[in-house]
Amino acid sequence: MAGLVGNPVLGNDDLKGEVVVAINEGRKFEGTRSGTEEGREKDMAPAAGSPIHRSGSRPQLDVSGAAIQGNSEERDPTILLPNQSDDISHLALDIGGSLIKLVYFSRHEGKPIEDKRKLSLKQRFGITNGNRRSYPILGGRLHFVKFETSKVNECLDFIKSKQLHCGGMNPRRWPSHSLPNENVVVKATGGGAYKFADLFKERLGVSLDKEDEMDCLVAGANFLLKAIRHEAFTHMEGQKEFVQIDQNDLFPYLLVNIGSGVSMIKVDGDGKFQRVSGTNVGGGTYWGLGKLLTKCNSFDELLELSQRGDNRTIDMLVGDIYGGMDYSKIGLSASTIASSFGKTISEDKEVEDYKPEDISLSLLRMISYNIGQISYLNALRFGLKRIFFGGFFIRGHAYTMDTISFAVHFWSKGNAKAMFLRHEGFLGALGAFMSYEKHGLDDLMVHQLVERFPMGAPYVGGKIHGPPLGDLNEKISWMEKFVQKGTEITAPVPMTPPGTTGLGGFEVPLSRGDTLRPDASNLNVGVLHLVPTLDVFPLLADPKIYEPNTIDLSDHGELEYWFSVLSEHLPDLVDKAVASEGGTDDAKRRGDAFARAFSAHLARLMEEPAAYGKLGLANLLELREECLREFQFTDAYRSIKQRENEASLAVLADLLMELDSMPEEARLCSLIEGVLAANIFDWGSRACVDLYHKGTIIEIYRMSRKKMQRPWRVDDFDMFKERMLGSDGRKPPPYRRALLFVDNSGADIVLGMLPLARELLRRGTEVVLVANSLPALNDVTAMEVPDIVAEAAKNCDILRRAAEAGGLLVDAMINIQDGSKLDSPSVPALMVVENGCGSPCIDLRQVSSELAAAAKDADLIILEGMGRAIHTNFNARFKCDALKLAMVKNQRLAENLLKGNIYDCVCRFEPSSI
Amino acid sequence: MSSAQMEDQSQNQSVKCTEIGGSERDSENNMSSSTSRFDYYDPISPWALDIGGSLIKLVYFSREDNSLENYLGKSVAAENTGVLNGCTTHPVLNGQLHFAKFETTKINECLDFIESKQILGSCGRHQEVSGGKTLTIKATGGGAYKFANLFKEKFGVRLDKEDEMDCLVAGANFLLKAVPHEAFTYLDNRKEFVQIDPNDLFPYLLVNIGSGVSMIKVDGDGQFQRVSGTSIGGGTFWGLGRLLTKCQSFDELLELSHRGNNRVIDMLVGDIYGGLDYSKVSKIGLSATAIASSFGKAISDKKELQDYKPEDIARSLLRLISNNIGQIAYLNALLHGLKRIIFGGFFIRGHEYTMDTISVAVQFWSKGEAKAMFLRHEGFLGALGAFKSYEKHGFGGLMVDHLAEQTPIVSPRPHPNQKVNGPFTEELADNESIDCSVLSVETLKLT
Repeated sequence: MAGLVGNPVLGNDDLKGEVVVAINEGRKFEGTRSGTEEGREKDMAPAAGSPIHRSGSRPQLDVSGAAIQGNSEERDPTILLPNQSDDISHLALDIGGSLIKLVYFSRHEGKPIEDKRKLSLKQRFGITNGNRRSYPILGGRLHFVKFETSKVNECLDFIKSKQLHCGGMNPRRWPSHSLPNENVVVKATGGGAYKFADLFKERLGVSLDKEDEMDCLVAGANFLLKAIRHEAFTHMEGQKEFVQIDQNDLFPYLLVNIGSGVSMIKVDGDGKFQRVSGTNVGGGTYWGLGKLLTKCNSFDELLELSQRGDNRTIDMLVGDIYGGMDYSKIGLSASTIASSFGKTISEDKEVEDYKPEDISLSLLRMISYNIGQISYLNALRFGLKRIFFGGFFIRGHAYTMDTISFAVHFWSKGNAKAMFLRHEGFLGALGAFMSYEKHGLDDLMVHQLVERFPMGAPYVGGKIHGPPLGDLNEKISWMEKFVQKGTEITAPVPMTPPGTTGLGGFEVPLSRGDTLRPDASNLNVGVLHLVPTLDVFPLLADPKIYEPNTIDLSDHGELEYWFSVLSEHLPDLVDKAVASEGGTDDAKRRGDAFARAFSAHLARLMEEPAAYGKLGLANLLELREECLREFQFTDAYRSIKQRENEASLAVLADLLMELDSMPEEARLCSLIEGVLAANIFDWGSRACVDLYHKGTIIEIYRMSRKKMQRPWRVDDFDMFKERMLGSDGRKPPPYRRALLFVDNSGADIVLGMLPLARELLRRGTEVVLVANSLPALNDVTAMEVPDIVAEAAKNCDILRRAAEAGGLLVDAMINIQDGSKLDSPSVPALMVVENGCGSPCIDLRQVSSELAAAAKDADLIILEGMGRAIHTNFNARFKCDALKLAMVKNQRLAENLLKGNIYDCVCRFEPSSI
Repeated sequence: MSSAQMEDQSQNQSVKCTEIGGSERDSENNMSSSTSRFDYYDPISPWALDIGGSLIKLVYFSREDNSLENYLGKSVAAENTGVLNGCTTHPVLNGQLHFAKFETTKINECLDFIESKQILGSCGRHQEVSGGKTLTIKATGGGAYKFANLFKEKFGVRLDKEDEMDCLVAGANFLLKAVPHEAFTYLDNRKEFVQIDPNDLFPYLLVNIGSGVSMIKVDGDGQFQRVSGTSIGGGTFWGLGRLLTKCQSFDELLELSHRGNNRVIDMLVGDIYGGLDYSKVSKIGLSATAIASSFGKAISDKKELQDYKPEDIARSLLRLISNNIGQIAYLNALLHGLKRIIFGGFFIRGHEYTMDTISVAVQFWSKGEAKAMFLRHEGFLGALGAFKSYEKHGFGGLMVDHLAEQTPIVSPRPHPNQKVNGPFTEELADNESIDCSVLSVETLKLT
């Protein structure tokens, strides 16, 4: 049993006892996808179950929970802990002069499925509330929405339609008459919190509780900087670069909030801050002077104008004074502004003789530059290394950010950098949200948050959100309507969209300046999914420097290539998805909508690669899966996966026999070869999809086996073999526990990874098969693996006994009585854990807590497949030995990364880096 | 002789204008200067120019002691004449240093003035003396490049460009060390002269507010570094002001600002908090009358530009710019550990409200620990520096004791509100006479 394998984490005898009970009860193994067991398990695990329950035992990662994707947003959040729900408020507002920012929290409908396999895993790995911090929060989502203040009614309608003002109560469970509305208090900040107090009372019956603006700003900024990985970015010469900030090294920093005026706040910690400086030359000055000088009617119009301006007609440059020469002695170039508006002195022109565009630009430069300078001086004065700029003046406007950055760079001689926040508009609202006493978000960690960008993201382009789209049907209708509006059908995201998008009626800038780069820099703010059960993979050598993506999509060529790959693959994917849902008209409609939505995402990212934050290939691939789920395609490859699994299982017995007949060394080599050969199946690869049309999977597998020839492109097999088998007659100790990150269904898992797992088991190594939590392409999921193992175990004792030991086979339906059961304690266990992802790639900073727990005793990691071993983690270093196995099914990747060719193989063995 | 006339005139006027220097000393100086005569012109170019974007500043020297001919003839070696300074071996001439200003757009007036003063005569003579060699005149400011050809054509002189910053610093150092009561503070309508010990002058921050603003850390004679600056300066005030108010001159705009009320346009802290939450306001240390956002009220109103009074606009603009300069200057002084901040440049022009705003900004941000100081000759730093850059002028070691001052004003109708300098606005346009085009002339008498 687990204890005998030497799991030091296990210390709870009571829990171990329960495992035995659970297993011996001998209930029928029914797989895990049914939610009907819920009731039973609750009965089964009374004492331990409740705290586990509270700890948010990964409900959102169960298939039925569908938590990571965004399609259950419109449903009423289920309250898992009714006695806590009173304390959790769901809405906070920042009502500014021009925009209303709203942050609300929705709990998703999570059904914790505590099947026996999971229970046994929990006990085996010691996942209890006791040895982890307790989670006051449940999984849920933080939404960020903006409205124009002048359209405050839209905001009220939105709140009403989402029932946000009811404190998140399920109306069915809590009829409105039992919840007197006048008691409902909503936290709000910003000047409008006073102005609109009566309106909110009248329309929604809620009282606005005014929070101090500065407190909110700081609380919001602290939360964002600590909880969101790539929240901050620099912006120099049009280039955005996301900055990863070490949570433990965040303070002190300077927060510069540019509203009407400018406040500069030195932040020393949570709730510890001081307004150290400021300037009265801020956004109000820009807009006020701009309005007087240009007759613009809105701030955005004025900003927009600036993009087409040329400040040289207005500003006196150093070159103007020195007759075109630099004043190099003091380091001023000819294009440096010597005097803002200095040229409007000498000429006989009137205001009307200057172009409003030029005036707007000069004004913008003058003010941005000045703010940058004063901020830098204050940072220097207090020895602050970081300056974060936020507030409505910035609005993701590229030129504004550039000018501020330039000023900071210029005055600091490159020593200081201006940083901006992706959620900058929401600092106040978030801070107001944080001011609820029991929100429980205080110690939320960065790895527990996942940001998702719903379907509408590309259309709103980071701007104002509009009316809520209720259910899936509304979403699809909206999408269809949108496409009809725009005349194009193939490319649903017009680069110059019609005036209104239907999402709130704002206008997307149509024109771009010639003198300045296009300003597509408005960044999207997605929905923050709070997943308390995610953890950092504990075997990463250095989580701080870990970067999952191998391919950097900030390289434009790379970006274009992968976009075209994904676009080309799209029709095939839609076919599969529609077929998986029975090919009905409804499925077709959803399929079309999915294709449009995903293309729109791609187009948006092509236009602004940083729109959704730092973009890597893994993010892109995950976005596709999320998008599928958003249109309720839960598993597009379901039938294909089943068919392939069956076909592969049918020949497994023969393969195992063949392997067993080999001598040790040849067998090991053959096993690795088998993994590589079987990895050829990949529906994400165009080349492979073509192959499928030519033969059955077994034929392809055989062909692939035949073509295998060492040395592979990366071939560390001998090193691995020596570690496994030893040399010169010395026999190394076996690995204690191996984590096998599996990839595809079918031959890949059945003929590749399972035989390798069997070999490890045979050598006394415990094996944990790590599979996806949610489907992604034809990747095998943690829900499917136990079935496959059970099927394979029918013909293999080693697998059967290990699976039994690992709690995978919980009943005695396998009637092979060979006496080995008696000495089962000596059999190493075979287990399955889910990885916490629904993507073909894996970001090891955010894995399921059960994987994290399983990893604690592991001394070997095997990463298999392109997604997990090449696209991501190719360069990852681990605290234990790692074997990365993959066949490269993309010519460009093979060339760029390995200087090889398509179908080249990688067998990379990296001994522990500690 | 026109120059003599002018001198006389200036002496006559100096009595009327006692508020300029504000001290009895001035009248004493005037008395002493009445003995001065321009009967000889220094062949070593006695004038220097600072040609800025909007103003031309001219500094010229007139001697009254022809015993210096020896010195001039023998050049460097002569040590026994004039007033010997303990610190240097340079002899000092007795004479007067004059200061004059012209608008750059009216450069011809400047040329005429030079001609009329026969400063040029010395050039002519010099040319003869030096045997065909072109005379060079020290000049600084951007216009020294721009107008080089004009001077060449008109007078046959070559403008020798001196570095602007060098000149500024040299000029400021000279003034601070040699001119009594040059520096003063200005706060709450009170001007207070500060006597700075020349031995404890350095380091200081020199903030020169011209079209743009340069901030220079001065560590000694010729030792300085431009540490900062801002593009929001006098040019911005005048440029934006012109666009917003249709004023015809800088001084008109300044004048307007006197009568304005910035509360109409600026968003004050009190406007935002509406008196609701003063405890919070005081928590961050801002009074209700502090400006939260310059021009911030121009946002919300339905008003157009025409609906605002030019006076109010001028006032808001002046406060915006003065405040900002004061703040950036203070921060720089703080960062470099400088105890004195001296403001100069044409933007200030002895304008009380400007000085007051800058002083308030410095006081506010420094919590009263630092004080803004101003120079009486603030507009002439560059020109003086250029003048000083002549190698053998002998002014290097001039001490306060050696200088007395006269401050006659040549302008026929000095504006009652103008303290240091005469106006150069409509009144000038009215008067066609050459002499009257002189903006102002001050003289420093070297005894």
